[in-house]
Amino acid sequence: MASIIGAPAKSSGVEGGSNVLRIGKIFRVVVLGVVGLYFIVPVISSARFSFTGSSKGISLSAYSKLFSDPQFWTTLFLSVKIGIGTVILSLVVIIPTTVWVHWKAPKIRRVMEALSLLPLVIPSVVITLGVITSFGSLPNIIMGTPVILALEYVVLALPYTYRTLDSAVQALDIKTLVEAGQSLGASLRKILWWVLLPNLRSGVLGVVVLAFAFCLGEFAVASLLSFTTFAVYLVQIGQTQASEAIAFSLIALVFTWIPLSIVTVVFSRRAGKRYRRGGGVLVASQSITELTELAE
Amino acid sequence: MAVPSLGENRESQSGFGGNGASEPQKGSAGMSVARFLRYGNWRRFMGVLPFVLYLGVFLLIPAITVVVDAFKGDSGNFTLSNFSVGFSGVYFESFKNSIQLSLFSALIATFVGLLVALAIVASPGRTLRAVVTAGSGVFANTGGVPLAFSFVATLGNFGLVAELLTKIGYNPYNHGFSLYSVLGLTIVYEYFLIPLMVLIMIPPIDALRKEWVDAASSLGASRIQFWRYIGGPLLAPPLLAGFLVLFTDAFAAYATAAALTSGTIPIVPIQIGSLISGNVLVGHAHLGNALGAGMIGVVIIAAIMYGLVQRRASRWLR
Repeated sequence: MASIIGAPAKSSGVEGGSNVLRIGKIFRVVVLGVVGLYFIVPVISSARFSFTGSSKGISLSAYSKLFSDPQFWTTLFLSVKIGIGTVILSLVVIIPTTVWVHWKAPKIRRVMEALSLLPLVIPSVVITLGVITSFGSLPNIIMGTPVILALEYVVLALPYTYRTLDSAVQALDIKTLVEAGQSLGASLRKILWWVLLPNLRSGVLGVVVLAFAFCLGEFAVASLLSFTTFAVYLVQIGQTQASEAIAFSLIALVFTWIPLSIVTVVFSRRAGKRYRRGGGVLVASQSITELTELAE
Repeated sequence: MAVPSLGENRESQSGFGGNGASEPQKGSAGMSVARFLRYGNWRRFMGVLPFVLYLGVFLLIPAITVVVDAFKGDSGNFTLSNFSVGFSGVYFESFKNSIQLSLFSALIATFVGLLVALAIVASPGRTLRAVVTAGSGVFANTGGVPLAFSFVATLGNFGLVAELLTKIGYNPYNHGFSLYSVLGLTIVYEYFLIPLMVLIMIPPIDALRKEWVDAASSLGASRIQFWRYIGGPLLAPPLLAGFLVLFTDAFAAYATAAALTSGTIPIVPIQIGSLISGNVLVGHAHLGNALGAGMIGVVIIAAIMYGLVQRRASRWLR
């Protein structure tokens, strides 16, 4: 089959992923090579900087200084606590909602999804400003403690967490499962706990990872509300000790990349079984992707 | 409604999500309020009430407060003076910088992301594709503070690349370059914008149907004619929609810029941040609100355009 784009098609390659576009190999190698370099070089530079600092020779001093810094651990602990709170609250808010929507009100599924994307429309700096003015008079136990961060992070992470669970619930036949449970005499709570939740494992895992990664990386709201979380402390260090801050960043990057890659792979494998055209990978990574818009 | 289409069309773009086939369709459009109430359908929506309330309290109330307070003077009176200050002088410059930064970084990322997506779809190997897609998902998520510092290690005064360039006789810092400028930020923002664009563009390129290419080629179209009349018009809407997503993303970004420049670069989010942190202008306690309202305005314009473009895009790519 002669293709009009690029080099003539090899008869064997027609059925592959590249059904339409024939693009020269040189073009592909150059594009992917140059762009790949742009993504790898900062990682290499960080690694080098963190091991040598500005002096000659390899040393681990940046890392040992960092790990022996008590504030590193306090702020990490604080962020982990906020993360756990956010994860639990997110699950409590989202699971019943998505299950309900698919079970009772599938018509409003799209509306709900749109609502969950609203936080992308309002920049987090603006939300913070609004939080200060509208909740400023709330009791100190909420506004004066990181509780307010967890409460807001649930909203800010919603565009990723909601979609993840929504597509997990979508994959189940909720009506049948619930009715089967009911006809066996189980209460709704029992059905949710023993039937639906086990089936939603990977969706829940996705929410846990996405919400947690979001909480560890979030800077804007935490710093503007004057809480010294992990990311805020990183910036404080960066103002005086560059090599420690870069070591810190490298650790933070690697520790967000690992769980995110796991989730991406898990989701693409799951989705690959169910959907054609490899679209599954995309949706899973899309919802992960949108994290950026908030992690900012 | 611009916002709902954000979700709706991303999904239809990627060609799955059930296409709504499983949803009962009885009386969806023509249902009147009276019928709605009579049949007790409202009960069906009770289950989502907690969610909607949560969103209302922690998202809508703050957002509305910002906009409402933007029209308040220091004594609570109605005034437009916050806006007249907010859109003049240094704050006007900030809006200009922010829009310029978001436009350029989104443009570059759109172009590069398109090239990468084309290269990926054209590659025969499935492994490469899986790796790049997964990698894009992860890298697109690498915004924020760590990203800023890894670029300090790369292009900062003592960064690896800056050093290498100096060794071959071109110290970028002697030629007006600075990582801590709008140009520097543009380079850094590409790190999460390009992967985002790759993820956005792979499905529409995938969806260019083989039949169309075959039809074009059997009718004797040249490669240029194909792109001019078929491929181009088909890819233009998703490309434009993607551009708007990237624009919004870059426009709202705060952490990277704050960490990189210690909050000194004059862009709108940073200005709002410094107003929050206590650098309040006397007589304009609600200036930050006006800037915030301005940001919301810009984003809403982008979202409306996105909705319009997406409606067009989803016509073909099903």
